[in-house]
Amino acid sequence: MEKILAKEKLRDWVASLQGCEVHGPAFADAVWNYAKAEGDIDLRHTNTVGSVKAFAFPQREVFFRFEHKRGERPSLVPTLPEPRPTVVFGVRPCDGRGMPRNDTVFSKEFKDPYYWARRDKLILVGLACIEPHSPNCFCQAAGGSPCSEEGLDILMTDLGDRYHVRGVTAKGIEVMERGRDAFKEASGGDQAAVAKAHEAACKEPQRTFGDLVAIPDAIRRNFEAPLWDEMARHCIGCGICTFLCPTCHCFDINDEVSSPGKGERVRTWDNCQFPDFTLHTSGHNPRDNLGMRLRQRVSHKFLYFVENHQTQQCTGCGRCISECPVGIDIAAVLERVSQS
Amino acid sequence: MVNPKEIRDYAAGLLEQGRVKSVIGYRRGTAGCFAEPCTLTEPGEAGSLVWDPTCLNNLALYLVKDRKQQAASRTPDRRPIGIVAKGCDSRAVAVLLQENYFKREEVVVIGVSCEGTGVVDPRKLKNSLKGRSALKVEFGGGESIRITTRAGESELPAREVLADRCLECREATPKLHDVLFGESLAERGYDAPFRAVKAAEATSGEARWATWQHHFDRCLRCFACRSVCPLCYCPECVVDSTSFVITPQTSAEEKANRIRWCERSANTAESALYHLTRAIHLAGRCVDCGECERVCPVNIPLRLLNTKLEMEAFEQFDYQAGRDYDRPALISSFRDEDPNSFIR
Amino acid sequence: MSDPSQEPQKFEPRIVAFLCKWCSSAGSDLAGVSRLQYSPNATPITIPCSGSVSPLYILSAFNKGADGVLVSGCHPGDCHYMEGNYLARRKLYLVKELLQFVGLEPDRFRMSWVSAAEGAKFAQVVDGFVKDIRTLGPQNRLRR
Repeated sequence: MEKILAKEKLRDWVASLQGCEVHGPAFADAVWNYAKAEGDIDLRHTNTVGSVKAFAFPQREVFFRFEHKRGERPSLVPTLPEPRPTVVFGVRPCDGRGMPRNDTVFSKEFKDPYYWARRDKLILVGLACIEPHSPNCFCQAAGGSPCSEEGLDILMTDLGDRYHVRGVTAKGIEVMERGRDAFKEASGGDQAAVAKAHEAACKEPQRTFGDLVAIPDAIRRNFEAPLWDEMARHCIGCGICTFLCPTCHCFDINDEVSSPGKGERVRTWDNCQFPDFTLHTSGHNPRDNLGMRLRQRVSHKFLYFVENHQTQQCTGCGRCISECPVGIDIAAVLERVSQS
Repeated sequence: MVNPKEIRDYAAGLLEQGRVKSVIGYRRGTAGCFAEPCTLTEPGEAGSLVWDPTCLNNLALYLVKDRKQQAASRTPDRRPIGIVAKGCDSRAVAVLLQENYFKREEVVVIGVSCEGTGVVDPRKLKNSLKGRSALKVEFGGGESIRITTRAGESELPAREVLADRCLECREATPKLHDVLFGESLAERGYDAPFRAVKAAEATSGEARWATWQHHFDRCLRCFACRSVCPLCYCPECVVDSTSFVITPQTSAEEKANRIRWCERSANTAESALYHLTRAIHLAGRCVDCGECERVCPVNIPLRLLNTKLEMEAFEQFDYQAGRDYDRPALISSFRDEDPNSFIR
Repeated sequence: MSDPSQEPQKFEPRIVAFLCKWCSSAGSDLAGVSRLQYSPNATPITIPCSGSVSPLYILSAFNKGADGVLVSGCHPGDCHYMEGNYLARRKLYLVKELLQFVGLEPDRFRMSWVSAAEGAKFAQVVDGFVKDIRTLGPQNRLRR
């Protein structure tokens, strides 16, 4: 389904989504991030600092509440989320491509009910990147494209005074149907304009790092090389790169006790860059320095995930590069690994 | 203006003469126009050193990192290290000296004066360029910054793009140094020290809580603020389980009985506990390098918490971290005339 | 008959009181043996010296639901360890300022000097604190 949406009609389309929770990019506290949309949605964003993964995999998820009163049987109350349908606008194609990768992780061996309770209700409305939103974008080098539809339910393309809107999945088409009065049919001219815009977008300069297919072998070849320690020499071991990543999905589970015998079991994001991530109870830590942790992050994205799921886990959004406090650059790391 | 060549030559000299095992400085990064930290070990590498308004990092952090590495090493290398230090960075070195983290002869401070400017705030720069990226950022001489973009070169008043910490900087020239490059300027025409804190204090308690609740709620608990701080060097941080020092000798009982002060959930109360504990732990130690605020991915104004306490230290106890490093630390000393009226 | 759990519960302040064992803790004992009537809302925690109170204890008490935190030590000049209370005064002044800065109500954190002979003063400090907290209501800002 292909339609045209005049820019001033975006409001009407959003208004037609009653009963849904609508989120979109918003510029607040000097950063772009997703926020609940009220009325208008500002789609002039670069990329949001947080990724779209948090809609299905929030930083904190309560699994169940427990209570053990003296003399009674312990009680467990499951807390499976029951969200309303959630429509997220302004999803960049790199983030969109992240979601099918997360879906694989949360369903291949075990279908994670908490993840899927949210994911099933999630509708992603993408916005093609007519120009790179950061100097560190590398979606094309990572096998994607600035106008990729993968993982998105709808793809919008900015054509100056109007958006071209393409329904990609049945869920997406349904959301377009609900706002049908806001749309016009796309003419042949519109379709040509979209094709031209997409073609031009793919020609915008981006970061590169050599041959994607050769990288798994390059990582294997350099597994024990000193380059990891050298590249991680100034790493401070914070969690920015993985917490902002659209595909990092590691988590920790803790019991948070509020009063004796009562509390919640909670899943929170965890992070392979933290020292206790692999800390054994004996005190031994198999990844006890920052070089090993950098290698782990890169290998997970470009080697292990390829081995397990036949695709790269990184989608080239460039957040980990742009937000790193000390300039650690996954594209530069991959380039160096490829050439060593 | 500081000529980067002088810094390079001096660094190369230090390495050539074997006076230091390494020099920590700034070089061009691969990610955008900003400089990144580098560690030189060969005189020939000194040519990569740069000095411009994108040298944001407080490199004193890497003195701490080296110290920790040497402590864990079977063959520790305790030769001195050279470090390129701005005014704020040298204050951090001073506090580390005061706390006996290393000895004076173990560090060679290559002081660089920020003169009339300082370092840029990447977010302010991006805003002033309307989202476009800068290719090059240089000192424009005097109180200006020269910026090159794809569209060409332009000169901006430094005030528009300087980091807040630089606008409020009380000492842009490193007092603690072995060599100093650049002029020492006594007067800089920017904001008075503690301007932002005083502005925040002028609002009501309700308004302040609304603000901080909003910010604590947004915290991702990536701990970048703690990781980047040269003075947050505790091997075991009290508020999270991620840096527990566990050795084969740690008993199961010790592990089980460890107090969990703070949960891992990134919610308002837990994040408040984390940030307030951190602020208190930095009282009289924070040198206002502003790194915590710069690295925060969601832009929480963390610097305010620290500068609030630095303001109290200065106004109530006449103490400045990094200036008074020959004195006992702020909270391990007292005077008879300390405030007493708040006590019943 | 109405269900008691449905009735709005009267707010009873919960106060955590860190009391120096050399003075205020003994002062609270004196208040007890003197049969003074005062609010039972303070949970005393005896500590070796007011100087040993880590700011983390205070923050943690608020985090775990205290409506108010009291630290009570020896009068200036009377510290068993010579200077512990002076160090506490400086440190806790900073804690008080920081808590106010982020917007916690100023009356939630209090410090007092109560000697072992001042049972009446102890009762008065606690009563006054409880009264102030009652007007403020429950502390919900820093609690989890």
